Amino acid sequence: MKSRICLILVLVSIFCGVGMAGAALPGPTEQLRGTIDRIIETLRDRSLPRDEMLSRVSVLVRSKFDFWAMSQRTLAVNWNRATPEQRQRFVALFSQLLEDTYRERIGSYTYQNEYVKYISEKVEGTRGEVHTIVVANNEIPVTYRVRLKGQEWLVYDVVVEEVSLISNYRSTYNEIVRREGMDGLLKRMEQRIRELQAANKKGSAQ
Amino acid sequence: MKFHVLLVAFWCLAVARPGFALAAGEGDASGEPAQILQAAESDFPAREMDLPQDWSAGGNESEAPGKDETQPVMASEPVSSEDSDQTPDLDPRAYHDLVREDDADFNDAEDFTNGELAMIKVADPIEPFNRAMFWVNDKLYFYLFKPIARSYRVVPEPARQSVSNFFSNLGTPVRFINSVLQLKFQDAGTELGRLVVNSTVGIGGLFDPAEKWFDLERKQEDFGQTLGHYGVGSGFYIVWPILGPSNARDTVGMAADFFMDPLLYFKMKPLERGGLRGLDKTTDLSLDKDSYEGLKRQSLDPYLDMRNFYHQFREGRIEQ
Repeated sequence: MKSRICLILVLVSIFCGVGMAGAALPGPTEQLRGTIDRIIETLRDRSLPRDEMLSRVSVLVRSKFDFWAMSQRTLAVNWNRATPEQRQRFVALFSQLLEDTYRERIGSYTYQNEYVKYISEKVEGTRGEVHTIVVANNEIPVTYRVRLKGQEWLVYDVVVEEVSLISNYRSTYNEIVRREGMDGLLKRMEQRIRELQAANKKGSAQ
Repeated sequence: MKFHVLLVAFWCLAVARPGFALAAGEGDASGEPAQILQAAESDFPAREMDLPQDWSAGGNESEAPGKDETQPVMASEPVSSEDSDQTPDLDPRAYHDLVREDDADFNDAEDFTNGELAMIKVADPIEPFNRAMFWVNDKLYFYLFKPIARSYRVVPEPARQSVSNFFSNLGTPVRFINSVLQLKFQDAGTELGRLVVNSTVGIGGLFDPAEKWFDLERKQEDFGQTLGHYGVGSGFYIVWPILGPSNARDTVGMAADFFMDPLLYFKMKPLERGGLRGLDKTTDLSLDKDSYEGLKRQSLDPYLDMRNFYHQFREGRIEQ
């Protein structure tokens, strides 16, 4: 009898332990590191055709970035004024614009043993920051601002050398909205995407 | 090309402008109420959005002619691009990003439109003039300076880097004096140390052993920053022909720095001095990785972007 109780206790404690381990989410650094490592791996893999490499990186990036939150932060006040349709259009266009921009840049890049140092992380409730240093020719501090969504820490802003990159977009985009309205901004974004895609097509055709 | 272009994947802009290693921190909240988002998120007609339906057909490269009909008519604006008659291909995954927001178990009322959102505000009363000058500089860049810099690239990069180092070494007085004026004596000492090391071991400034071996990094200081350090505001934005973006404060700063240029005190004709300055700028341009082109390609309004960048860049420098 006693041994049975013991056994139950042991089992319960094991299950509790397992349960608790399962409940403890991997922290933002851990989650981000996984994705970044896979991105580096993809970039390193010279056997991949360029288009394949680009789309793999794109999948990885999209899995970790919260374009919805980023769009809100970019539009700020104007997000609240926009209609639901405009918001959705904006998120779709914004993420596409970012992706096409990066496609254009990544084309000429070759991996040269750059790596990432993870310095520290800060978590407050559902928001956090992951501080890293990218070591290339020189060291560039890059901070990822992340938010917890369900089980996942998703990036909603990137700060390179103390400057939030979203804030750059924000200033320009809101100025355009002020002058030309939300629809004017969306049109400009569409036009820009078209031109980038035309340029990228030319680039990959060569 | 630096690596974080990739890691930061999309945020190429700041990267593309290494000179604009921006350092402006984000300001404080502007306190917008948070409820609107929550209300709006719940009644999003996510499945009726007007995105192209043709997700499966070949991704970005697909150009099936029939596709246009399923797409919304958005092409009434004036466009210069060749394939202007079609809506840009949107990545299907963008659609998933939206759908994900409707996760039933996701109930995050956080509003990302407020909180630490800084808006860059730049006084620009002479915008028409500035835009005209921006246009002039743009043309000068593409039809004059860039072609020169491109042909200059036949000179191997290390050699051009040395030329750049040489001129940078000549700029020591500007950085030293302005460090002193801001009472940053440690920085002033660093600059002095750099001058000594690089002028001797670095063979007259051609190399930069001060940074490589002694960890003495160059301090970016000029008189515009000194003024800013003592609380002088930036005044209004101004684009000078050839010299590029500036503002009232930094224009005064440029004039003051002019007199700290050692070349001014050599016996030299103005034309010769101008030639050397030209060589300096051309060298820097040849070492630059087409960052202006990068900015232009992705920017919705290059003039505005440049204005914001310049402002952030300068404010960041002043804060340092």
